[in-house]
Amino acid sequence: MSVASVPFSFGRLGLIAGNTFLEAVRQKLFNFLLLLAVGLVASAQFFREFNFGSSELKFIADFGFGALIFFGSALTIATTAQLFFSEIENRTALTLLAKPLWRAEFVFGKFLGVFAVIGVFCALTIGLMIALLWHREGQLMVINPDDFANGRLIAYGDLLIVGLLQWLKFGVLTAIVLLIASFSNTNLFTVVTGFFVLVICHLQYLARDQWSNVDNVLLAGTVRVLSLVFPNFQLFNLADEIGQGAGVSGEVALRVAGYGVAYIAVIGGLAVYSFRNREI
Amino acid sequence: MSQPVSAISIKGLTKDFSVTLRGVKLRAVDALNLEVAEGQVYGLLGPNGSGKSTTIKIILGLLDATVGDVRVFGVPANQVEARRNVGYLPEAPYFYRYLSGRELVRFYARVCGVPKASLKARVDEVIAWVGLSGAADRRVGTYSKGMLQRIGLAQALVHDPKLIVLDEPTAGVDPVGSAEMCELIVKLKQQGKTVLITSHLLAQIEDVCDRVAILDRGKLIVEGSVLELVGQRDRQALIVDPLPAADLEALRGWLAARGHSLNSVEQPRARLDQLFLSKVSRPGRPGGGSGGVGSNEVPLDAKP
Repeated sequence: MSVASVPFSFGRLGLIAGNTFLEAVRQKLFNFLLLLAVGLVASAQFFREFNFGSSELKFIADFGFGALIFFGSALTIATTAQLFFSEIENRTALTLLAKPLWRAEFVFGKFLGVFAVIGVFCALTIGLMIALLWHREGQLMVINPDDFANGRLIAYGDLLIVGLLQWLKFGVLTAIVLLIASFSNTNLFTVVTGFFVLVICHLQYLARDQWSNVDNVLLAGTVRVLSLVFPNFQLFNLADEIGQGAGVSGEVALRVAGYGVAYIAVIGGLAVYSFRNREI
Repeated sequence: MSQPVSAISIKGLTKDFSVTLRGVKLRAVDALNLEVAEGQVYGLLGPNGSGKSTTIKIILGLLDATVGDVRVFGVPANQVEARRNVGYLPEAPYFYRYLSGRELVRFYARVCGVPKASLKARVDEVIAWVGLSGAADRRVGTYSKGMLQRIGLAQALVHDPKLIVLDEPTAGVDPVGSAEMCELIVKLKQQGKTVLITSHLLAQIEDVCDRVAILDRGKLIVEGSVLELVGQRDRQALIVDPLPAADLEALRGWLAARGHSLNSVEQPRARLDQLFLSKVSRPGRPGGGSGGVGSNEVPLDAKP
């Protein structure tokens, strides 16, 4: 008996993403972390007397990016795991996957929903940081006009690029947590493993730097493979280049973005493959 | 001439689960063969752990069979296409609490590909059909168990599937809610739908099912029509007005003269659930009348 096939649908994927987004923004955790991050960024102006030798404006920017990275990472891991396991534990996944829906649509829908949530978080945090910097720079331009003879010093476009790259990095982290969740049995295991992988991804450049110094061929090969398996999150951190020389290079930013998208595609594909075989 | 395709065809289904890391297997379903014809209400019975839910999950493509062939309207159950014509109400359903009933049904309708042009009408129609129009804009988190079952049935029916799978649809629901669910199942049968139902409430199964299968430890123990299985074809019951003792003796003699025997004389009893339903008020039926399904019901012959 011939039956019309059910093609992969971006419409269904969007529905899952929209529902995931709605569920996330109604969670207390999202609102709590968002408030904390926004509060921390906003409080940077009160710490400007303790700027540890950095220029005041750079201190506000570093403080803001620090809050973005810390709370963004926590939010990404916790939200992804929570939203995935709420579907499994509450058995809403049973109802959903009993519909004519591909599991790839479910996994990528979850990914896009979380990615959108993190996007809102990043936009609000970066937006507030830029507003603060703009406001303070304006004040300093009045107080010390000689320092701003050539206009504003801060490259706000670079701030946006770095913010976008951090968002993309959180996208890679979302895909990693989804991959873990696709075979994990508990939310806790997923969250703990997600944090371990986050640390590895932030520190893996150390292994990458060392493989040429390792004499043992087998060990060197293993280190090299591991450094490819885990994405290098330090690549996304271009905040230090803001205000240095020509600022953030557009070419470098594009290459880093391509690197992130490639990892999202590969890890997301692995998550779909793993989830396809999962018994609900 | 080609044979009609069964709604569900299960041939030699076996399902093993690994229960330890060393690979020890638990056999949940053992060499099961079943055919559910289109238009039937089919009851899948068995104690806890008998393999009912596992069988249903395999039919829905949520689990893969270890061995065997499972088809839904001729399509292998593990293909997404097989679920195009299936509606599913899970046991003790839990839905997105933050959505209203209408939003929930609308969400599932869109997942199932109900055309946008007819989406609103279809959602309203199916919500009315399960009797929840008055509560459609309340958040699902505020629903009672009976209402959750009904909104669950609405989401299962919203894309007008030919097969509806109901896993313990009356679990945890009071007798009124159970009776209403049974009425909805009868209505589905009248519309020509195929219904596969599991339940521990055997009296209800007996009332609504055409055929039943009883599973135990994953194996099929008994299968057949309800009448075949529980009817006593070699006996008949006559319900008459109360007879005086003398008339009863005369009747006994009359039967004996014709080679028949009067085996027992009993006082007929109403079922307790029927008594309960006749006494308590039901939504839309104050005082326990008979009629529709809920406070916002549409006529029984309404098609979703």
